[in-house]
Amino acid sequence: NFPCQEVERHNKPEVELKYVTSPELLLNPGCDIYVIVSCCPPMHFNFAHSSSQVLICRNEAEKCLIETSINSLRISLKVKQADELENILTKKFLRFLSMRAEAFEVLRRKPVQGYDISFLITNYHCEEMQKHKLIDFIVQFMEDIDKEISELKLSVNTRGRLVATEFLKQFV
Amino acid sequence: MNTDPELDRSHKEPKDGMLSEGITSAKGNFAETLPISNDKFSEGGPDNKVLSQITVSGRQCISHEGMSPSSGNIPDKPTEIDHHLYEFGSVEYHIQASLSEPNNTYLSISTPLLSQGVLLSHGLPRHTTEMFEGIPPDVLEIVEPAREGYQLTLRLDLARIPRKKDSVKMITQISSVQAAILSFQLKEILRNISNEDLSLGMYKPLKLVYHPSETFFVVKQPTKFTAVFPMRFKENTDVSIATAFFQELMDVGSSTAFAKAPPCHWSPIPPPELRGELIEDLSTNGGFVSFEISSRHVEGKKLDKTVWGVLNFYSLVKYHVKNYKVLNSHMLTPKINVKQCTRGFIQRRIRKRLQNLVERSGYYKIIVPKEVQLGYRRMRKLISLSRSKLLKGRRSLTNKIKRIGSRIKIHAFNRFRRRWLTFPRFSSVTSYTY
Repeated sequence: NFPCQEVERHNKPEVELKYVTSPELLLNPGCDIYVIVSCCPPMHFNFAHSSSQVLICRNEAEKCLIETSINSLRISLKVKQADELENILTKKFLRFLSMRAEAFEVLRRKPVQGYDISFLITNYHCEEMQKHKLIDFIVQFMEDIDKEISELKLSVNTRGRLVATEFLKQFV
Repeated sequence: MNTDPELDRSHKEPKDGMLSEGITSAKGNFAETLPISNDKFSEGGPDNKVLSQITVSGRQCISHEGMSPSSGNIPDKPTEIDHHLYEFGSVEYHIQASLSEPNNTYLSISTPLLSQGVLLSHGLPRHTTEMFEGIPPDVLEIVEPAREGYQLTLRLDLARIPRKKDSVKMITQISSVQAAILSFQLKEILRNISNEDLSLGMYKPLKLVYHPSETFFVVKQPTKFTAVFPMRFKENTDVSIATAFFQELMDVGSSTAFAKAPPCHWSPIPPPELRGELIEDLSTNGGFVSFEISSRHVEGKKLDKTVWGVLNFYSLVKYHVKNYKVLNSHMLTPKINVKQCTRGFIQRRIRKRLQNLVERSGYYKIIVPKEVQLGYRRMRKLISLSRSKLLKGRRSLTNKIKRIGSRIKIHAFNRFRRRWLTFPRFSSVTSYTY
């Protein structure tokens, strides 16, 4: 719990404010460090450690940005979108979730620019929730998004096939 | 629809796909218009909603739901009716009932032709008997010549329409007359292409208009016809869903099970057959879908189905992407049971998924565990233990002092003892807060 240093009687997540005059609050200040780690083939993760953030990229289309501060943490995700249909489904689904962010508490209403969805975890969340389970939830969420988008795309194609079949049956 | 018979309404601006009414003149009391349930009619499809709302004269009621003249909704006096109904902005229906012929209602239809360049070789009446096969002549009769300004005039005796299941079929047939006229026009086109075109060796695409803003082309080739549909959508989401649908259509059409169906192709660019057409006709965001119709698809009874499928392809795509109705018309696609559109399906699924995720997120909250609740009691025990020990220690020290205390009396020692050799009193355990 860290009251704001700039504004009296305010207590805000410092990761959202990122005051230039208080860089120490963002934690881990330092020069840029890029670490390329190959976990297991065929996945290669690029870690970029810069000032207060960690960027994990599988490729240009899939990445995860973790920004830290003294009293809060922001995790932003960019989900894989192979084609236009997946793009639209992802946008719809994640926008739907973001608009109902109050149901999840740790979800941000508007994702960080360049990403599809963002989480904001503050000290209050850490007090109310069990940390290890919170991490589990976020990991599970990421897996569920991918799975849901794939299922949606499959069902759209299945419906299209069904309608096409029925349409062509009249000619046979 | 209850109307004041003396009210003279101005003509309403017709909207695409919407029924609009203009009451030009009316006398007497109107009976209630009894809308026939229209669940089977698709929007923009062949069975339009226009003729399902027929205002009749006072003595006669048409009711799909079995209302009888004895229901009490019928005024006693016969009335005159003169209604103009518009659909899709260009199709006009004129319904007339007069006092001189109380049993008859006249329905006149004016619809733009599919193609202005092609006229029906023998006129409409030749084909109208085919349109109304199965309807007894005492119920429906074609008036020749048609009223001025209209292509077809029918005389209907609505009282003779049966009230049971056959009534639905009959009313469906009557209400789909506009679509039937256009179907016959397309059949004429497919049967009798202009010889001039063939002799020149140029197969000029024929531009046809079924609904406003939904034009398609038919190109005659030596052994087949090609129907080309430029697809346009308002939203990018619709474009993506429709593109996925067209890919599936191509896949299904190329499978062995549908070898007899017309081959279907989709391309984002105009096909070579449409070279030379206007740019505004060729500008699309959904690409071009083309069907190759060969002679076997237009032989005998298959001609009806082929023509119907071609005329309603746009409606089918719109339905799949957006519309929300069950397509159960026997004229279109017999058994599509897909009740809801793709967009609605996606929305429902996302909502359901959200509920699951919210339920799961609730499990990660801390509910204060029992150990913390017990902590208060334990602390109480600790304090009570330490207090008893303190008291014991105090007593023992006091006793020692007493034993040690000699007969030598030291001045002011008692005061010193009372002040410095007593143990502090602790506050009450019950007021300790954790």
